[in-house]
Amino acid sequence: MEKMTSPYRWGMVIDLDRCTGCGACVVACQAENNVALCDKKEISEGRGMQWLRIERFWAGEYPDVRVRFLPVLCQHCHDAPCEPVCPVYASYHNPDGLNGQVYNRCVGTRYCGNNCPYAVRVFNFYPHTWPQPLDSQLSPDITVRSRGVMEKCTFCVQRIRRAKEEARGEERVIRDGEVQPACSQTCPSEALVFGNLADPRSRVSRLSRSPRRFQLLEHLGTHPSVYYLKGGGREHV
Amino acid sequence: MSDTPVARSATQLNDELLSSLRPPSRRWYLLVLFLLAVVAWGLVAFTWQVTHGMYVTGKNRPVMWGFYITGFVFWVGLSHSGTMVSSILRLSRANWRRPILRAAEAMTVFCILVAGLFPLIHLGRNWTFFYMIPYPNQRGLWPNFRSALLWDMTAITAYIIGSSLFLYLGMLPDLAVARDRSGGWRRKLYGLLAMGWRGSAHEWAVYHRASTLMAALIIPVAVSVHSIVAWDFAVTVVPGWHSTIFPPYFVIGAILSGVAAVITLMIIIRRAFNLEAYLTPLHFDNMGKLLLVISLLWSYAYFVEVQTTWYAHEPIEWEVFSFMADTYTPQLLLMLAGNSVVPIAFMCFRRLRRSISVMLTVSLLVNVAMFIERFLIIVPSLSHKNMPFAWGSYSPSWVEISVNIAAVAGFALLFVLFAKLFPIVALTDVRELEVREAEVPLGRTRLPSIAGKE
Amino acid sequence: MEIIGIFGDLDSAARGVEGLLREGFTEAQITSLSSVPYPDGVLVKAGQRSWFRWLTLAGAAAGAVAGFTLAAGTAWLYPVQTGDKPIIALYPTGIITFEVTMLFAIIGTMAGMFLEMRLPPRGARPYDPAISEGCIGISVALHAGGEVVVCGEGECIGSIASLTPEEQRERATEILMKAGALRTITEQS
Repeated sequence: MEKMTSPYRWGMVIDLDRCTGCGACVVACQAENNVALCDKKEISEGRGMQWLRIERFWAGEYPDVRVRFLPVLCQHCHDAPCEPVCPVYASYHNPDGLNGQVYNRCVGTRYCGNNCPYAVRVFNFYPHTWPQPLDSQLSPDITVRSRGVMEKCTFCVQRIRRAKEEARGEERVIRDGEVQPACSQTCPSEALVFGNLADPRSRVSRLSRSPRRFQLLEHLGTHPSVYYLKGGGREHV
Repeated sequence: MSDTPVARSATQLNDELLSSLRPPSRRWYLLVLFLLAVVAWGLVAFTWQVTHGMYVTGKNRPVMWGFYITGFVFWVGLSHSGTMVSSILRLSRANWRRPILRAAEAMTVFCILVAGLFPLIHLGRNWTFFYMIPYPNQRGLWPNFRSALLWDMTAITAYIIGSSLFLYLGMLPDLAVARDRSGGWRRKLYGLLAMGWRGSAHEWAVYHRASTLMAALIIPVAVSVHSIVAWDFAVTVVPGWHSTIFPPYFVIGAILSGVAAVITLMIIIRRAFNLEAYLTPLHFDNMGKLLLVISLLWSYAYFVEVQTTWYAHEPIEWEVFSFMADTYTPQLLLMLAGNSVVPIAFMCFRRLRRSISVMLTVSLLVNVAMFIERFLIIVPSLSHKNMPFAWGSYSPSWVEISVNIAAVAGFALLFVLFAKLFPIVALTDVRELEVREAEVPLGRTRLPSIAGKE
Repeated sequence: MEIIGIFGDLDSAARGVEGLLREGFTEAQITSLSSVPYPDGVLVKAGQRSWFRWLTLAGAAAGAVAGFTLAAGTAWLYPVQTGDKPIIALYPTGIITFEVTMLFAIIGTMAGMFLEMRLPPRGARPYDPAISEGCIGISVALHAGGEVVVCGEGECIGSIASLTPEEQRERATEILMKAGALRTITEQS
């Protein structure tokens, strides 16, 4: 049994000093990944389907109120708690360092959703439809999930896939900045930076070595692939 | 037949203990019909869920497990009744076990069968459940044995088979008696199952050794089954679940639940089949003592859990516990009353242990409290996990409640059918005692004594 | 050939056994049929070793192999990385191996038990339903007879062996009826 190796280790850096909480990343993700449209009823029941959420925290008393935004998406943990608990290997770790989700293998036990400490996994409680003409917007590169299946952020694996194919055709590796998930592509303040952490010279690698860095729930030892940056070390969320 | 004392009392015992095998009365048919109706309603609810989607339940993000898994753990716990009561009492050669064995062993089988349905019911895509079964297929796919759910599947399969064989083994000599007393299709059925048993000394000797060995083998299986179900929770990183005490705590809870259920069942069959002479206050006295001991153990385990959480006051874990105590206060209090306060207080008194109505109330209360306990383990932890922005809550929907009630009805139905077809009291076991009992003069009085080695 | 005497109570059955032993039948030929077990020696002595437990052990061994193959073998055949855990992980493999071992041990016990009891029997054997109602059957297995049987395993079958089976049957019937049997049943085994 050989260990599969890869020249890539995808990761993301989210600079909280740049995030304005505009939510464009959420919309872009929904558009790119055939994420279901949810109405007020679904979301108030706790069954929203967004793969990426902007957490909003208020700090301080009036008139000195500040707001902090924390975009939370699948952290693609290297020791992901969601992976070993899936009874059918629908959730697994691929050699690129991504946490993969195989929709047609998922039987819907929702164990992975329970075990994700970041609560980033969403389950298709409802059968979702896209009223016309929104169904023309669906991307053919990615499945439309049926009800009863778990889903979550994949770092736009379909884009990574396509970039890999192009790179393989040209017999090279993917260049830094060549592939971007929808969220980082859309972010107006470039708060989200995506790239190959295995390449020490890529932008994401350099940012991940910043003294402002921290990770979510580090004490759980999940070793996420997502780093957050927050100013000065005094004002972590 | 003969009119010597042995033969008459044996026939009388046979008649009384096998009275449940009489052709069914109208009341029986009504009961079965009612239970079938409740089960059918549960099936309707389940079909509604399968055809519409999991949104018909109360589950959401982050509480992705609710009443179904509560039911699952509850029924697995109940299935420890037979194993613990039957095996342990067999191995310790306690004579008062004899009228209780069969009901306890049958309970085990039916409880674990019902429990095994819940993992299938709670799936988002129930129709793909066979993905979890390890069978060679053309795509070379296998399930993930690192997942605690696969351990569940393996253990529950082993337990279903093991406890069914254990029940069958216990019934073997009784089936021969039933065979000899019946005709028609019943005779064929019992004859087939009795495997030609004649009761020769050789057969009995092998049977005794096999019974003892089976009783010893089934106990580790039972302990491991509930430990594995506990590991479904304990091996996660969910705060409040990740606790090393879970496996022993769950096993203790299961024994508590099971003993209480056996008491309830004993009271019911005593009344239904006029077995007052065989299920005497002595039996309830002893079961009450067992209930007291297990309740003390459970209380100890729960106290230890909460005390260590409170003292260390680790923020996330304490948050889970205080959320539970605040949101579900009446349920928590009922649970503590039913599992700890009432059993310990009441079961200390001989007069109360020997009272059928008190035992019925206490045993039912214990099981209600145990169901609540399972719920309070599962839901509050999921509601308040690590990321406060993603906190949620849960309340069960009519679908989940219906399915759980149908599970109770399904169990009752299986038991009623079983009691009509098979001897519900371990007939030959009870008669064995009668044969060996004699009154012996000792000093100024005569005392009953039981002849035999040890 | 087997002949069974049906007795209504324990004492007459015991007298029957005594009578048969005095006549020359051996312990190994005589057994009791009862719907409740009597302690060893009350009617007949059993006392042999049981061998069905070897099947329990065999089952456990087979189960250990099966369980290990299931957990470790399937993981090796279809290696998928999950978390930071090894493909063949110690604890899950151990748990599955344990469960399957116990399951096969239990099945082995049942199979061994039936094999040692020699059930289900290949042919019809004599039996009386009165045994289920509390009567006790004393069964004598008659051997071919006609000549003195060679001693083996410390059991010498005495002069009774020199009689023909019919004569043995008559003697046995006489003894059983004298001890108080209600009736006797004979069938070819």
